[in-house]
Amino acid sequence: MSQEINQRLAARRPGLDTRAEIDAVTAGIIRGSFETVCFEMATHLGRAASSAIINQSNERNASIMDANGRLAGLSVGIPQLLFISPMAVRWGLEFQEQDDWGPGDLFVGNDPDHGGGHLPDYTVYAPVYTPEGRLLLIAALQAHQGDTGGKDPGGFSPDSLDIFHEGLAIPGIKIVHRGEKRRDILHLLIRNNRLPSFSGDIAAMIGACELGGRLLEELIERYGAEGVAAAVNFNIDETERRFREEVAKWPDGSYQADVWIDHDTVGNRDVRVHVTCGVEGDQLTIDMTGSDDRPELINVWNTFSNSRGYAMAQLASMVDPAIVKNEGLFNAVEMIIPYGTIVQPPPNKPAALGAFHPACEIGEAICIALSEILPDRASPQVYKLGMPNAVIGFDAQGQMWMDQGVDVRSSDASATQGVDGWGSMCSGLGNLMLASAEDAESRFPVINLGRELTTDTGGPGRWRGQPGTLNVKKILEPTTAVAWMVSVEHPLRGLRGGNDAGPYGNRFNVGTPEEYEVEGSVRAQLPENAVIAYQYGGGAGFEDALLREPQAVCEDVLDEYVSLEAARERYGVVLTGAVADGDLAIDIEATAKLRQELGAAKAERER
Amino acid sequence: MTCRVGVDIGGTFTDFALLRDGEVTLEKTLSTPQDRSLAVMTGFEKLATREGQTLAEFLGGVEAIIHGTTVADNTLIEMTGALTGLLTTEGFRDEIELRRGYKEDIWDVRLEPPPQIVPRRRRLTVPERILFDGSIYRELDEDAARAAIRRLARQGVESVAISLLFSFANPVHERRLAELVAEEIPDAQISLSHEVLPRAPEFERTSTTVVNAYVGPRVSRYLDRLSERLHEAGFERDLLVMQSSGGVMTREYLRQSPIRVLASGPAGGVVGGAHLGRAKDAPDLLCVDMGGTSYDVSVVQSGAAPAGSGWNWHHRYLVAVPMVAVETLGAGGGSICRVQNRALQVGPESAGADPGPVCYGRGGELPTVTDANLVLGLLSDRSEFAGGSFQLTRKGVDQAFEQHLAGPLGCNVEEAAFDAWRVVNANMTQAVRRTTAGKGIDPRDLTLLAYGGNGPVFAAIQAQQLGIRRVLVPRSSPTFSALGALAARPTIDEERSYIVSAGNADLERLRSLWQELAERARGYLRSAGFAPAEVSARYQLNLRYPGQNWSLTIEVTELPGTDEVSFVTPEVRDAAIERFHRRHEQEYGHLRAEEEPEITGVRLISSAAVPAPPFHGGFGAPVRAATVAGTRPANLGHGFAPTQIFHGHELRPGHRMCSPAIIEETFTTIVLYPGWEARVDDAGDYILEATAPE
Repeated sequence: MSQEINQRLAARRPGLDTRAEIDAVTAGIIRGSFETVCFEMATHLGRAASSAIINQSNERNASIMDANGRLAGLSVGIPQLLFISPMAVRWGLEFQEQDDWGPGDLFVGNDPDHGGGHLPDYTVYAPVYTPEGRLLLIAALQAHQGDTGGKDPGGFSPDSLDIFHEGLAIPGIKIVHRGEKRRDILHLLIRNNRLPSFSGDIAAMIGACELGGRLLEELIERYGAEGVAAAVNFNIDETERRFREEVAKWPDGSYQADVWIDHDTVGNRDVRVHVTCGVEGDQLTIDMTGSDDRPELINVWNTFSNSRGYAMAQLASMVDPAIVKNEGLFNAVEMIIPYGTIVQPPPNKPAALGAFHPACEIGEAICIALSEILPDRASPQVYKLGMPNAVIGFDAQGQMWMDQGVDVRSSDASATQGVDGWGSMCSGLGNLMLASAEDAESRFPVINLGRELTTDTGGPGRWRGQPGTLNVKKILEPTTAVAWMVSVEHPLRGLRGGNDAGPYGNRFNVGTPEEYEVEGSVRAQLPENAVIAYQYGGGAGFEDALLREPQAVCEDVLDEYVSLEAARERYGVVLTGAVADGDLAIDIEATAKLRQELGAAKAERER
Repeated sequence: MTCRVGVDIGGTFTDFALLRDGEVTLEKTLSTPQDRSLAVMTGFEKLATREGQTLAEFLGGVEAIIHGTTVADNTLIEMTGALTGLLTTEGFRDEIELRRGYKEDIWDVRLEPPPQIVPRRRRLTVPERILFDGSIYRELDEDAARAAIRRLARQGVESVAISLLFSFANPVHERRLAELVAEEIPDAQISLSHEVLPRAPEFERTSTTVVNAYVGPRVSRYLDRLSERLHEAGFERDLLVMQSSGGVMTREYLRQSPIRVLASGPAGGVVGGAHLGRAKDAPDLLCVDMGGTSYDVSVVQSGAAPAGSGWNWHHRYLVAVPMVAVETLGAGGGSICRVQNRALQVGPESAGADPGPVCYGRGGELPTVTDANLVLGLLSDRSEFAGGSFQLTRKGVDQAFEQHLAGPLGCNVEEAAFDAWRVVNANMTQAVRRTTAGKGIDPRDLTLLAYGGNGPVFAAIQAQQLGIRRVLVPRSSPTFSALGALAARPTIDEERSYIVSAGNADLERLRSLWQELAERARGYLRSAGFAPAEVSARYQLNLRYPGQNWSLTIEVTELPGTDEVSFVTPEVRDAAIERFHRRHEQEYGHLRAEEEPEITGVRLISSAAVPAPPFHGGFGAPVRAATVAGTRPANLGHGFAPTQIFHGHELRPGHRMCSPAIIEETFTTIVLYPGWEARVDDAGDYILEATAPE
């Protein structure tokens, strides 16, 4: 059943019915207006929402669909998630008659088996009509909710066996009818959520979506329904044309990669994602056949919408960033996502954690495969963290609180050709604002003891990956800590001869006799004043580290991104002097000799 | 008898506005980039000559010199600040590099990182820790601190930023570290985060402190030098400097946080706009300033230019001091138009002033917005341009359009120019909407105020696109920032963080925080020559619902500038909470009445009243039709048609003009698009109004 739905929802859709002609300039102006409407919706939501994940971390995405459910425009947000909303909206669109769609209506959906990503990602959408009553556009907002009413607070349960453990699944339901909020339905949603902030979040989503609808009505009034329809068609076709134009420049061939996840949440090891990227003329095919299909796997099932979205987020980063993001991207790419595998699970599989892994490994595999032909744009748009340490407690009134660990951190910020990894994460997550210690500590009983870059955890390469950080936290009250560790045995892979990133790691009860390394997945009761230490993996290196400019290595050592030992052993650079004295100098002769030896040894190994 | 002078240094010109007994005189000199204080002195000599005085006589009689400077901006753009080091809490060395995860372009994997002001080797940590309530969790390890400071000293650090966790709650460790730095590096300038920006969160405060440490020495040196020159020449008072918040303050105050002068130039223009709007009965304004390279948008509400602190990025660095919000778009007269992948793009690259647009005849070869305006007939090669300094030329313009735009787009030159005009217009309209987004502002409720050389060319058509029905074009638009400096009030705008559930707020703590702010403000304002009776103080609370990141600033009370805080009662607090619920509903469409909001901090804006330049409004003079100076074909959005031309210097109060028409002013051109009419008011300023019914 779900396979049939997925195929139907994903199928290429026709353009809007219009005979109007439009010129490129007017179409471009209307496109800009769409992006501004999305920006206004997202900004409104970001400022009005209650939960940190929306208003602080910026996990909110605005997009506009056309009446056929095609993605017509979007704003900056989280790329992976921006591509998911159309699928949820398409499911709703199938019931226009039965559900009595009309102006002033608003809907919400989150069901992975009916177009959704995973349960925490709520999509709220508002149909927009022409003055004559024709459905033309749909304004949509997608935002991550801190709880989904499942068996565990927070929505992420490493031991969930099906979607029903994870919480309330909403295929698509009307929450505002002709401008009137449906109190009973909203009450049902609020009742099924542990977090008191949810009512504010859903109210903010409604307000922002209504704003988007109004702004789109004004646009339709200004440019006319026919003009807007023609612009949507033009812009989508133009994106497809531009994307194909890029693909046509790539050498024909079949490029493959495997990426492995250490294990699922119950210890089934080496979960495989396989991607074949076929290039033939201007046609790109992404085939995920070969990805794992072991039925005993738990919690590594990525929903179909997510698989599509994550693949596209990686592809969009590998072409000219000026190409407008809309349905044209999907029209230009053939995706083969086999049913019954971890990239398109059977119905009712738990979905929450799959949106981390294997979702990210799909992007990583595409990146590795295409790095052969696109070295200057190969940078994995991923987060390899399993899940962050979520710390959950209850206050004196019995209200749940949760520090979700969206701390400032560096993880997975990889290098690409000519650019070292930098900042906190990959570029695609550059809008995800990370939590501050001063804010968290004013709110939760935690003390952040440290969150610094760890020397030598960035993957060595001609261009170096950014190191990962070690986040150390003391929790003053007894809590439950939930974690799932991956990327320990299979860390983020180096590209084109660059080295892998430093692995992830996690220790609980640090500094006590009960200290232990977290392996696999864990739900632990922590006593008061427990210290937890989460080592984020670094970014991966790019090309052979022995080719890195010795001066750059010397600078890295001065800045303690790289140790003296690693400079010698990984980069083959011999330095004299001491870091603390700031008098490092390159021993040119010794460096040349060492690099020759290391290069020969490497060649030997490869043979 | 009053005599005050506003001075604004721009890239090309240094502008002066002299206010004497209610009369304003404007003056301009060429800027002197190698030592900007030279142009200032030249301008004062010119003003003195006009007043028939020697420079010493003139300056001796000047009550206040109010100065807007770009020296902080230039230091950041050129990256020529001091060699800076950072000392921070152990465990938090890298916040400044990680930027809370922010990257400017999420789709571009080739985006380069910004150059680091404090690379990792110059940001060192010290063992210490203070908690959110100000309690000491870990004592400062002075030996370790000295070792870190010596490591900075060995690297030749000239300026040290000190930013420790929760220093705003308890500054004792920052103060002690400053003493240690002073002992170990005697010449170092020291910036303390609890003085520069005493508020959470740590990245925002640390970044602001680091940028302060970086630009501070150069700003201070510049202001000291200028001040010295003025004193030597006979000026007896202390210089007042424009701040990014739109208020002015003394050098003494700014010595602690010179970063507060960043982006003060545009702020001056907005303050001038607010002042003008009040005189013209237009308290809610959309200010647009379009010059040669950029288009600056800001909003004035209820006659004031609101300054927001927090997430303000400047030249890729975060500076969280209060700033008048100005959205900048790379769209100006010099913006280059090109076709890329079949799409017509305008800007952000600019031909600047040299070579400038093709029609400047100075060797420019790429078509620009000004060239498009010339092709469309909005500008003319027969009229004087830029105050009569030269004439535009059509030579080479058509070829440039043909080669770069019309050819690739498959249209003719006039169509290509019109497309360029449409695109830049749309870009500007989007920039306006981004500025008003999320603030509960409907552009239709605003009056558009256009200034800068190119603003009035597009003002009416943009107003129309935004649903705005009234446009103001001041005759003094080219020197608006200098005039704004005159209108700005001496102001101290500071916050203190205190994060607590509003119901549990310790009123004594609120009182003491406000009292501390009030005492500081009163002290600085008094030494600037303002008695407490001249000062008014706006007490504000920052509030949010639990879990929100952004606070709303809520007015609590406005009092004369004393530090009497007995007004803080439970009733006053409850009234503020009630006001917060209402504001939230107004701005975001919902409120959570059942929830107790959180206080995140107190804010106090103390400002002194000063004589400001008069702006007049109204229409006393009889309305009469203006004399048409000529006609020429121009495309005002509906194809080429004969269009009336008026000369600004021939127009007088009461003159009225109907569209389509073009008014050629000394430094700008006002285009009356179809559906608009213009009148000259009693002050000689232009009021444009939409004639079509709403």
